Amino acid sequence: MSHVYSADLALNIKNLTAGYPDNVVLKDVSWQVKKGTLAAIIGPNGGGKSTLLKTAVGLLPPFEYKIMELLGHPPRTGRKQVAYLPQQEEVDWNFPITVLDVVLQGRLVRQGLWGRYSKEDYDSSHEALAFFGLERYKHTQVGSLSGGQRQRVFLARALVQEADLILLDEPSTGLDAKAQHELADLFLTLSQGGKTIVAATHDLNCLTECFDHVLALDGRVLVEGKPDEVLTEANMVKLFARHFPKVGSRGEVMLHEH
Amino acid sequence: MSIELILEPFQYGFMVRAFVGTGLVSIIAAAVGTFVVLKGLAFMGDAISHTAFTGIALALILGISVYVGALFFAVLTALGVVFLTRISKVNNDTALAILFTGIFALGIVLLSGTPGFSGDLNSLLLGSVMAIQAKELMLVASVALVLGVVMALFFRRFVLVSFDPVGAEAAGFPVAFFQGMLLIIIAVAIVVSIQAVGVVLVVALLITPAATASLITKRLKILVLLSSAFGLLSSFLGLYISYFYGAPPGATVVLVATALFGLILGIQKLRGA
Repeated sequence: MSHVYSADLALNIKNLTAGYPDNVVLKDVSWQVKKGTLAAIIGPNGGGKSTLLKTAVGLLPPFEYKIMELLGHPPRTGRKQVAYLPQQEEVDWNFPITVLDVVLQGRLVRQGLWGRYSKEDYDSSHEALAFFGLERYKHTQVGSLSGGQRQRVFLARALVQEADLILLDEPSTGLDAKAQHELADLFLTLSQGGKTIVAATHDLNCLTECFDHVLALDGRVLVEGKPDEVLTEANMVKLFARHFPKVGSRGEVMLHEH
Repeated sequence: MSIELILEPFQYGFMVRAFVGTGLVSIIAAAVGTFVVLKGLAFMGDAISHTAFTGIALALILGISVYVGALFFAVLTALGVVFLTRISKVNNDTALAILFTGIFALGIVLLSGTPGFSGDLNSLLLGSVMAIQAKELMLVASVALVLGVVMALFFRRFVLVSFDPVGAEAAGFPVAFFQGMLLIIIAVAIVVSIQAVGVVLVVALLITPAATASLITKRLKILVLLSSAFGLLSSFLGLYISYFYGAPPGATVVLVATALFGLILGIQKLRGA
């Protein structure tokens, strides 16, 4: 029996249970993200933000699920149009590779086993570099760029890959306020161009101004919806209470009972 | 130094073969070694060379080609290590060290206990490049050619799976396939280099020239070329010194490679200070 794939969904997950061999992180998670959405996953550490992203792109095998679709396709074929940007600390920034070579890799992952770079591949890479204002760094070793510039290099690669769904794990880590705003603006531009962006983030600051959709995740889906619906005090207390002490109005530290 | 003196070693057929053989393996080992250094796989290279020794020992005892024996064990080790790292994240170094020293010890016991072969032990451990035959040289040359072509054809893919395996796998790129291929190339490069410098020192041919090159450049293609150049330079200088001073050739080549690393590092420290 084949699934019915919903064409207007970038991400369609139903009843997903996933995690690591001795640690079930996600239990019965269902989540749908419409194409062109700017979606954020928030939640405490260990709440499964990274696990959800990694399972969606096939880096972790799911334990159980009813539906798992990327851009209306089963994961195997959908992944060709998916770009995943790992956490900054997961990348070896000492690796001797230039900005242009990283961006060109967007074509390499599409080619798979065999193929050479064509003139068109170079053209689209230069175009992407120009779009992100990185032209003059094209021969620079990627690790010597700033955090914000590194993010843009990987986003440029996603463009060159013609990825329609871009997943980012903690993209704002290590960025100063200015770089965070620039990144948010880029997300907006990309989503207006039809791209779907899903970012796992611990940074709740710019959620309301940038994102259309928020998933609050703590092993299970706590709540999802528009930022102002999700980011209520009651929800945030529920989401983070058992992980952080709260400072009360008179400066006293209160630990929530669970 | 007069021209006669420079050309002197080349009047002997065995020296010509030694120069060609060592030159070839040091170029290819140094090129492949770039990836070993970038990925921090020196320990794995050591494991491969030690288990390859036992493959050679078994091949000698069974009367089959030593290259077949060595290659079988080397590839098995490389793939075994990957399997180990995939199934468990704990203490791989320890598990690997126990496994490869154990297999290595078995090889030594087997070989020294088999009448007529104990003499091979020394040449396997320390190399015997002066004894390389024309037939073996042809084999080394063909392997070097094949490895060179494969490296050139898939260079960008090896770079991709070394730099960002996670992002590549997420986009459906066959990461495991190219990582496996890279490991097999490393294993093959080690196997053909054993005759030149022996089991114990072979890992130096992989990592020392590449490490020296990485002190100088951050451009990947230049890194590979420079690494090969350092490998070739070490092997030629090493063989010269070994010829004129009667030092063991394999060890001398490695000493020169190490000295080059020290020299470049020293110059950089002095400049920086």
